[in-house]
Amino acid sequence: MIRTLASIVITLLLIFGLSWYEMRYVDRIFEHFNAMLLSLRQKTESGTALYEDGTAVQTYWDKQRHRMHIWLPHSSLLEVDYQMDEALGFLYLKDYEGALPKIDVLIGLSENIPDSYSLNLGNIF
Amino acid sequence: MALIFIRTLVIFVTTFIVMRLMGKRQIGEMQPYELVITLLIAELACIPMADNSIPLLYGIVSILTVYLLHQIVCILDLKLPGAKVVLGGSPSIVLNKNGIDDTQLKKNNLDVTDLIASLRTEGYFALDAIEYALYESEGTFSALPKKDYEQMQSSLPIIIVDEGKFDEKNIERTKRSKAYFLNALKEQGCSSEKKLLVMTVDGNGKVYMQQIGKKYKVFHLNWEEKLW
Repeated sequence: MIRTLASIVITLLLIFGLSWYEMRYVDRIFEHFNAMLLSLRQKTESGTALYEDGTAVQTYWDKQRHRMHIWLPHSSLLEVDYQMDEALGFLYLKDYEGALPKIDVLIGLSENIPDSYSLNLGNIF
Repeated sequence: MALIFIRTLVIFVTTFIVMRLMGKRQIGEMQPYELVITLLIAELACIPMADNSIPLLYGIVSILTVYLLHQIVCILDLKLPGAKVVLGGSPSIVLNKNGIDDTQLKKNNLDVTDLIASLRTEGYFALDAIEYALYESEGTFSALPKKDYEQMQSSLPIIIVDEGKFDEKNIERTKRSKAYFLNALKEQGCSSEKKLLVMTVDGNGKVYMQQIGKKYKVFHLNWEEKLW
């Protein structure tokens, strides 16, 4: 009986601990990524963004992405990689009009990905 | 992870309710919740293993959730007297001193032929040779025979009427007609075969007859010779 109760408590702690860490971790990474993208968007809109600004955002994303694979389905992260490469291409060419829609898509993804794995009724059903 | 936890919980509860509603036939020899766990674990372990795009943690958390629910159900099963009946069901006495209990059979999605087949597996062939028969909550069948049951089953009984319908092939085996059996029924105070739950006859002409909602009757037909 005590062993069964202990196993219940340990499993509960493990599951809730993992859930709490996952939510905090994923939210924090995407919040930071979103802030970097918003700043890149401002610079792109004003025509002052450099290719290096883009690569700084990409470097941050690449670092986090590997750990993110533990928590999120890999297909969700692939879309970010694709849009990021496209945006960088436009920035390299200094084509700000082409880069803006790509950065907007990335901003949308950085808001939607954590939302689609957060705890709410819509996601459960 | 919390999402997976809740999704697994929802699927567990849904599958469990469905299995309980399906009755004993679907369960085999496991408790309903054990079967749910067996079904879920296999799937939960397989999907993240086969699909690279799903983090392995998803499968691990799901299985941990199922394990957690199993432990909780076990505790409820052992410690709460009422919970045992709700979680595992209760035994159903399908044959008693009055004969076959049709209500209990229907409750478990079984019919008279299922009961007769279960009796045969246990080595009992005549319905009147049995005092009690029941299906346990996990689906196993047991029967208590009458004292002199061996003398009561000297010949194999066959079904003549099953839930209001004549079995044409078995009537042919007896070398008699439908009218002959209808006559025999009328002599016993039953106007139509539609009122019967079951009627069997063995090679010696011994008839087991039970009208729906009434106690069974055993009588003998005057057959000159043993037919089988």
